[in-house]
Amino acid sequence: MSANICGDYKTSYKEDMVLFQTTFSKFWIIAFVLALYVVPLFLGNYVLYVANMICIAVIGALGINILTGFTGQISLGHGAFIGIGAYTSGYLTMKLGVPFIVALPAAGVVTALFGMVFGIPSLRLKGLYLAIATLAAQFIIEYLMVHLEPITNGVLGLLVDYPSVFGFSFDTDLKYFYLTVSIAILATLYAKNLIRTRPGRAFIAIRDRYISAEVMGVNLFKYKLMAFGISSFLAGIAGSLWAHYVTIITPEHFTIGVSIEYLAMIIIGGLGHLIGAIYGAIFMVLLPEVLRLMSESMSGQFPMIVNMFAAIKEGIFGAIIIGFLVYEPDGLAHRWQMIKAYWKLWPFSY
Amino acid sequence: MKKRLLLVIALSFALCCLGTSAMAAKTIKIGGLFDITGGTGSVGTPYAEGVRDYVRYVNENGGINGMQIDLLDVDYSYKIPQALAAYKKFKNAGVVAIMGWGTGDTEAMAPIVTKDHIPYMSASYSEHLTNPAVTPYNFMVGTTYADQGRVALKYIADTWTDKSRKPRVALIYNDTGFGRSPFFDVDYQGHHFPAAESYAKEVGVEIVDTPVIGLRALDATPQLLSMSKNNPDFAIVQETSVMATILKDAKKLGLTTKFFALNWAMSENILKLAGEAAEGCYWTNPFAVWTDDAPGVAKAREISEKYHPGVKQIVNYFQGYTAMLVMSEAISRIEGEVTGEKIKDALENMKDFDTGGLTVPITFTKDSHKGSLGLRIYQVKSGELQRVTDIITVKR
Repeated sequence: MSANICGDYKTSYKEDMVLFQTTFSKFWIIAFVLALYVVPLFLGNYVLYVANMICIAVIGALGINILTGFTGQISLGHGAFIGIGAYTSGYLTMKLGVPFIVALPAAGVVTALFGMVFGIPSLRLKGLYLAIATLAAQFIIEYLMVHLEPITNGVLGLLVDYPSVFGFSFDTDLKYFYLTVSIAILATLYAKNLIRTRPGRAFIAIRDRYISAEVMGVNLFKYKLMAFGISSFLAGIAGSLWAHYVTIITPEHFTIGVSIEYLAMIIIGGLGHLIGAIYGAIFMVLLPEVLRLMSESMSGQFPMIVNMFAAIKEGIFGAIIIGFLVYEPDGLAHRWQMIKAYWKLWPFSY
Repeated sequence: MKKRLLLVIALSFALCCLGTSAMAAKTIKIGGLFDITGGTGSVGTPYAEGVRDYVRYVNENGGINGMQIDLLDVDYSYKIPQALAAYKKFKNAGVVAIMGWGTGDTEAMAPIVTKDHIPYMSASYSEHLTNPAVTPYNFMVGTTYADQGRVALKYIADTWTDKSRKPRVALIYNDTGFGRSPFFDVDYQGHHFPAAESYAKEVGVEIVDTPVIGLRALDATPQLLSMSKNNPDFAIVQETSVMATILKDAKKLGLTTKFFALNWAMSENILKLAGEAAEGCYWTNPFAVWTDDAPGVAKAREISEKYHPGVKQIVNYFQGYTAMLVMSEAISRIEGEVTGEKIKDALENMKDFDTGGLTVPITFTKDSHKGSLGLRIYQVKSGELQRVTDIITVKR
């Protein structure tokens, strides 16, 4: 390992485009990925369940981060897009007998199409206006989920099987974890590469100053729609994985609350940082579980408190999120960079 | 020094493991999935209290056959995804049975509990959960919603005096599994379940409107206004605490429609909330109320008085209490190790189990998991819930 050069010190574009910036980070990322595959063997089902939820959330959060964090187009309909992926995959596998390995990408493609349709207004609408347009998408899709009974089975919900690929069934939490974590890693790599390429740069240009981007020759409509498409594709994949994991999907899974949760994930994790989507997903999945564990651990000793705690749980959840926005508005990704910088510069912090 | 510390840690860890495994042999783990903070929290909280109190009472009196009940208690806020998360936790902890709550989540999880052989007794009295060919591990102590709807329709048809036309009825519900369950025929997992809508034709009642009012609605005026255009004589309502809003708004609008609350939609709490607007409202109720005079009710009052002095419990408390009572009874009939299959067997062999007046005697068979077949119709008269019929028995 060569000595680390302080800060960003690069002398060529090629250097700037390298996937792993240092051998050090390369080593740790590979070690981390290996650990992701080895450690679960020793974990209990519940931890694996949470890990699965995190992986699925990571895929979904990467999607909305590309749209909102990198392209600057706010979306309040991400939860519904995840729902489209879930229902598409569920319908294809259960009612049409399509194998999972086809249904998974199909869910992504169908969701991408939906996303692009709802993304069309994005050329004319910006900021809050776009937020409301995507909010409308959320409600329209939710309505369809309840009332398109031949496809979605209405409020009774659609039963979905565990997926199986060439006869191998992912029917335990552990097996499923290997599926979700692999796809989450692929999605992360994809997003990371996307940002380094021409469309990725175009997204960032649009986010930073769309007029300048257009002057530079970026086709706004094309790239905005592309952002919607890619974001929804990832949402669809996340939805499909989620559907096959929980094995039952109802419209209640994909409410406005889910959309806001995903938005919160990337805000907490860090808008426009890919790693932020991962931090945010971990944080948002773990927080309610931790709060639930706290209230449950008290239920034995103080059954009276539980009723009260259950009510303030939601409040604590909100308070933590507000605290984050106040004290770390750039998200966990930024905090992590600060910590890294501190150690790099230590003891000469100036 | 360090070695000794390690040794101490290792020893205490080993002791912990031994301790828990020794304890595990003496406890029966039961999952408790309750709604404290969600859309149905107002009735879910007293229900959960009833279940917890009975567990506490059993544990303080030596447990079931010497085994303590360990109730793993989760508030899932009436959200199906959270219910599934809780279920994974329960299964991991090795529960032998689950006391559940809502219709949507119970129906959603029915195939999973069947696969895992975990008896599931929920507060959902949805007809879809009573056929053991479809949902073999679901049991219920209440009279089904569809049966309650049928009783209401029958009562309306029987007491209708104007022979020149049929009685006109509206069905008010919320657009969830719970709301739709009493009223609409459904094909659930390939089996057909008839409901109030088709029964109305049988008894000669005309359904004129089916308004949707959300579980958390704060205003029912638009729905009631549009309903009043169809001029229904009666409205059967499947809601929870939003019932008070409906009654108040109906009074405000001066509707002459008579309201018929299914069991969750009326209680002493609704009476308080709706005040005078509740006057004349009917209620189909399979359970005892606080003022009932029966040995089982007296016992429940005594237990409640001990744990919550001075609190006058509403009917939902008795629902939770009775469900846990029936579950405990089934477990107490098991010899040897308690497993899900054995609890299912014990329940299916339960014939005319006397709850001491909390409900009619409870019977489960291999062909039907409808526990209670009897209910009474109450009516709000001068601010109090008064029985207007004796026990009406429905068919299995």
